[in-house]
Amino acid sequence: MVDLTVEIAPGLILKNPVLTASGTFGYGREYAPYFDIAKLGGIITKGLSLEPKTGNPGIRITETACGMLNAIGLENIGIEQFLSMELPLLRKLGAVVIVNIFGQEQADYAALAARLDGVEGISALEINISCPNVKAGGIQFGTDPAAAAKLVAAVRQATSLPLITKLSPNVSDIVAIAQAVVEAGSDALSLINTLMGMAIDLDRKKPILGNTTGGLSGPAIKPVALRMVYQVASAVSVPVIGIGGIVNQRDALEFLLAGATAVEIGTASFINPQSAALIVAGIENYLDRQGCKRVVDFIGSLEKNPA
Amino acid sequence: MAGIRCWTLFLFNAEIIDKQKLSQGIFRLRLKSGKDFCRAAKPGRFVMLGIDNSLFDPLLRRPFGLCRWHEEWFEVVIKNVGRGSAQLCQLEKGGSVAVHGPLGNGYPQQKTEEGEVSPLFLVAGGMGIASIASYIFSALDSNQSLTETFLFYGAASYAELILLNELTAAVALGLRIKTITDDGSCGRHGLVTQILAAELLNNSQARIFACGPEAMLKSVQKILQTGGNEGYLSLENRMACGFGVCLGCVQTVFAETGAGGVETAKVCTQGPVFPARKVIF
Ligand SMILES: Cc1cc2nc3c(=O)[nH]c(=O)nc-3n(C[C@H](O)[C@H](O)[C@H](O)COP(=O)(O)O)c2cc1C
Ligand code: FES
Repeated sequence: MVDLTVEIAPGLILKNPVLTASGTFGYGREYAPYFDIAKLGGIITKGLSLEPKTGNPGIRITETACGMLNAIGLENIGIEQFLSMELPLLRKLGAVVIVNIFGQEQADYAALAARLDGVEGISALEINISCPNVKAGGIQFGTDPAAAAKLVAAVRQATSLPLITKLSPNVSDIVAIAQAVVEAGSDALSLINTLMGMAIDLDRKKPILGNTTGGLSGPAIKPVALRMVYQVASAVSVPVIGIGGIVNQRDALEFLLAGATAVEIGTASFINPQSAALIVAGIENYLDRQGCKRVVDFIGSLEKNPA
Repeated sequence: MAGIRCWTLFLFNAEIIDKQKLSQGIFRLRLKSGKDFCRAAKPGRFVMLGIDNSLFDPLLRRPFGLCRWHEEWFEVVIKNVGRGSAQLCQLEKGGSVAVHGPLGNGYPQQKTEEGEVSPLFLVAGGMGIASIASYIFSALDSNQSLTETFLFYGAASYAELILLNELTAAVALGLRIKTITDDGSCGRHGLVTQILAAELLNNSQARIFACGPEAMLKSVQKILQTGGNEGYLSLENRMACGFGVCLGCVQTVFAETGAGGVETAKVCTQGPVFPARKVIF
């Protein structure tokens, strides 16, 4: 038996370090027919806004080499419908629920945080300051350390829930943003969101995606994600959650070595709905074979000298 | 919204027990499955198929309509159109395919009013035949009558009128078939929607099930609006997940509440078959 528990924010202890990435796990219920979602460290919901949102028109997804581009546009049912229609079922299923939030402006984020403060069945908030697919989807907060810090401070004021700030890789210095939001009161960081990309239909001479550009995810982005997690985890003292191209336990364990306290599984869940559960089992198995009794001993144990 | 979907879902690796070339770049794979899988199959439902590859390229699974099934196998028809389908087409008998499904909702049941079956027009364009054929094969395999059922089938050329031989077996059950090709190499010369428009003129009671390229479905929808007939379109939007979590496949539709409001529907879980009047192209 390996002790897989990790603490991703003060007082928030997860039974294992595997979470699901926002926008790839629906509202959780969709996965219930495939495995017991209570077995995960936690689930992170699709990004929620104050009001329901319809998303982008036209083609929203296209596959690229070892990855995919998406331009969903943060379509979601809105916070109220989530609380009345989805949360009760998630609680019944026994899942640890982390709500991913976004807004047009700072006040929206604060209002969402205030609305969710004290709601039973919600363990933490993940603040999306990094979606590349909507003009007002937070990206303007995600690229400027001062704006990011101001936003997080406002959310911090509005709630006592643990706060995880989700960072964009589409910046010149991710460490500067990371330090700024930790300073402003974020209890943990998650990274990375998708990398901004584009796909072109050569014969029609047109962009493929309805939104022209989209967010790249999947194995194609793993090296970038790993590098950023490594740099950020080395620079801040709060827990870091690694995201980007994780499809199996080996990928997940590499992020833990690089300093991530937990990981989120994204695109892999589209391919095999059971991915996150398989990765939990895979991590346990690997550590057991290595004779490692506690996952926390493995986290950040990367040796500095290259192979 | 409430409640968990109660369809039986399967995730498994299936052995290819037969592979057949139907036309240039078009193959039929017969995959091994359990009896429970076949019980959950239904005309118009689909599966997500992938190749178990450690390189994750291609990455996502691809949707394919269930074409035919029987106790311990099911068949899909795959046209080589891109990286995902190309790799699936290269697999040989004895190889393995990752299967997720059956997914989605199929075609509605044949309507009978006071014992009278109303005519059913099945309209297939190109690869849309794979989905439409599932309705006919399912009747054929359960020895169900196909009286008052008409298949209007169009393709680019005679060579691409795949499955025609097997579908002809259903003529014994009452099915009537009309073909049309873009180049006139079989049946009339033209588009399948021309047959539909002509046949609807003297058939106001007919219901329509259609599957094919978007341009064809748009045209079917327009023809139905003129005639006032009830119809269903099977959409083939791009999909990343196939089970309602990525929101990549959505289609704009008229809202259930009426009053002209619009909303988005997930083609994978709320479709792929939609009432024609709901779809907004
Ligand atoms: C279809 C899709 C929708 C997404 N929606 C959201 C979202 O609503 N909020 C968010 O913070 N991240 C969203 N993401 C980003 C993922 O949570 C994750 O950061 C990214 O996909 C990288 O991880 P992966 O390579 O494991 O998929 C989305 C990603 C995809 C592919
Ligand atoms: S294909 Fe993912 S929601 Fe339909």
